[in-house]
Amino acid sequence: MGSFILHGTQVKDVIIKPDAPSSLLLDKHADYIAAYGSKKDDYEYTLSEYLRMSGIYWGLTVMDLMSQLPRMNRAEIIDFIKACQHECGGISASIGHDPHLLYTLSAVQILSLYDNMDAINIDKVVEYVKGLQQEDGSFAGDKWGEIDTRFSFCAVATLALLGKMDTINVDKAVEFVLSCMNFDGGFGCRPGSESHAGQIYCCTGFLSLTGQLHQVNADLLGWWLCERQLPSGGLNGRPEKLPDVCYSWWVLASLKIIGRIHWIDKAKLRSFILACQDEETGGFADRPGDMVDPFHTLFGIAGLSLLGDEQIKPVNPVLCMPEDVLQRVSLQPDLLS
Amino acid sequence: MAETEEEVDVLVQRVVKDITNAFKRNPNIDEIGVIPCPEARYNRSPIVLVENKLGVESWCVKFLLPYVHNKLLLYRQRKHWLDREALVDITCTLLLLNPDFTTAWNVRKELLQCGVLNPEKDLYLGKLALTKFPKSPETWIHRRWVLQQIMQQFSSVSRNRKKQHQAEGEQADPERIQQIRDQLARTLHQEMKVCSDASCRYPSNYNAWSHRIWVLQHMAKGNVKVFHDELSSMRLWVSMHVSDHSGFHYRQFLIKELINELSQTPAPGSPQHRSSSVHSGSHSYSCSQSNGELPVAEAAAAEDADRQLSFTTVLQVFHQEMELCSDLIQSFPGHEALWCHRRHVFYLWHHWRREHQQNLNGSSNSATETVLVNSSDPGSPPSGGGVGEGPSADRPGHAAEAMDEDRALLPEPRDSKRLKRGVLMPGTPTLSTEHNFVSSVLDGCCNLEQRRFAQAYRKWLDTVIGQQL
Ligand SMILES: [Zn+2]
Repeated sequence: MGSFILHGTQVKDVIIKPDAPSSLLLDKHADYIAAYGSKKDDYEYTLSEYLRMSGIYWGLTVMDLMSQLPRMNRAEIIDFIKACQHECGGISASIGHDPHLLYTLSAVQILSLYDNMDAINIDKVVEYVKGLQQEDGSFAGDKWGEIDTRFSFCAVATLALLGKMDTINVDKAVEFVLSCMNFDGGFGCRPGSESHAGQIYCCTGFLSLTGQLHQVNADLLGWWLCERQLPSGGLNGRPEKLPDVCYSWWVLASLKIIGRIHWIDKAKLRSFILACQDEETGGFADRPGDMVDPFHTLFGIAGLSLLGDEQIKPVNPVLCMPEDVLQRVSLQPDLLS
Repeated sequence: MAETEEEVDVLVQRVVKDITNAFKRNPNIDEIGVIPCPEARYNRSPIVLVENKLGVESWCVKFLLPYVHNKLLLYRQRKHWLDREALVDITCTLLLLNPDFTTAWNVRKELLQCGVLNPEKDLYLGKLALTKFPKSPETWIHRRWVLQQIMQQFSSVSRNRKKQHQAEGEQADPERIQQIRDQLARTLHQEMKVCSDASCRYPSNYNAWSHRIWVLQHMAKGNVKVFHDELSSMRLWVSMHVSDHSGFHYRQFLIKELINELSQTPAPGSPQHRSSSVHSGSHSYSCSQSNGELPVAEAAAAEDADRQLSFTTVLQVFHQEMELCSDLIQSFPGHEALWCHRRHVFYLWHHWRREHQQNLNGSSNSATETVLVNSSDPGSPPSGGGVGEGPSADRPGHAAEAMDEDRALLPEPRDSKRLKRGVLMPGTPTLSTEHNFVSSVLDGCCNLEQRRFAQAYRKWLDTVIGQQL
């Protein structure tokens, strides 16, 4: 166990042990991702099948950031995505599951990585996304109507990658997202909900893609985001929560989007992220010493990329994809300076 | 131990039936869990019911879950037929083991739409799943959908009855309407309980608290009584969970909604005035207490007193919240959630006062003026948990300019009046009392975190609030 939670004092943080990893183990991570999925037992596979499409996106993106994408089985993955598109145009997490915006975006991201958008019916995807916009501008995640600012992000990110942003009512969509802004400059899942780093990432990303970043109170939000950094260097997602590699990415990416990334202690954050590697198995965990998974592995690597690690390809903070992929589809989301 | 596919098949079907039967045998099961048990015990069901707790022995979960999971997916792909009863049983087992399996909830939504399941049953299943998985986003999402079905059902029932009665030249059946209202109030109450339980099981449970907010927004919009009750009942909870930022955010939400409702000044004599709780739009049938059926004359007469009472209540809400916050900060040093709460409450207060003072300056309504009392009123009880009040000698210079304006917005002490009911208004926070609070915390405090948070609050007062003045 590399981490230890402090109970004696009120600070909820971890202590990074002196022998924690402090250099980037790229080869180990590539091997970990390449082998992931081949040795899964029935039970584990079943438990996470409801998010399989996103799981594939995490694995492929981190491989691409490490320039190891060719090690993954392209043909199999593309066939899988084809099999997940439904009549309505939406894409599901796996075969036999119901379509949802979350997995529609993941699928479109994967096809962008592979430069193979024509594998699915794009017009149908656009129709699906458009059909989920509500009168107030918000987006439902699927036909059952749940509303969340995450889905607003999924909708515009999908359309931006497809170059079809003009098919929805962007002004209304912006109006809804702004109605979820809080007094601390942050955003929640719906109007009145608590600010949350994950939702802030979605909302600043959304405002970037819709060209509305000037509507953010960057100083106020930057302040709140910087207060997420703990003495260990790691970032949490809300006050008095433990630091976590995935939240470190969401906070860092949001700071990058609003042009305030220099407000945090980058060196300390880097050592926190590096300490979350597993030297034996490869991969990153949420905190030092915990079990690794592909999700935290992507956000660990992407975080290090945003912090300027040159062994990793530059990552785009809005879409969490390699910059070279976005250049290929001529997408350049706004960032504040 | 089951080995072959056939054996697994038989085993799993038996276990699914055992679970269904357990619910039939005991309709009051209130918690689920997995019992650590690496191996099967011969001739014994892995489903254990002890009092109201339903347990599944761990050895069987790894057979059970993949089996029911694949069965449902085959059904979804029309490769395998399941009758409605089997679908109900399989999705129940599946969701108790893996409640984030969205598609399984969707199958239940369809069953609900065609009347095979009733909404209360599904709220119950979700409640049980939350006892083991209190964060499960899909469970909360499904609950919102079910609650919307319930609200739609109720609003269409009452609409139809109204129509029917109007056609017959009668009044709407008040008894039936009251029944619906009571049922909705019960559902609301149960939902608050489900949220409370989940919030206790997992700290800063975002999904539980944002669900709770959603429920109030959709089922109690504008219902001052419900918001008030929530605010009082949450007081003890936050005092016992001082690190729970979500719990405090919920209070902030309640206060904000409450003061918005209380600060509304509708047109005189408007029958809607006393019933801001009635927002019976097509989908949001509010389960409000007051329903705007008061005689117009009486309502108009009550208006002045009402408005005054509302403003008094707003001031009291703020005063009590700041006092609670001060007490907690001093009793539990070094908690960021408490300092964040202070920021938000002060921010709300600051804006409310500015907004309403401006409205009031031009008006000749004396009733409302009387409730705006200077914090340095000699008769005021001290606020801020023992922090020195009154005109401060040691106001930090850097914010002096802002604070002067701050003071100018308030009436002079001699203008403060006793309210008609004889209640003297408590002191209200100003930038200067807040600076004093910070100084008093910093004085002799050696808790590093507490110092850090106090200094951050001071900086926040100077930059965020100071710049807005
Ligand atoms: Zn995480």
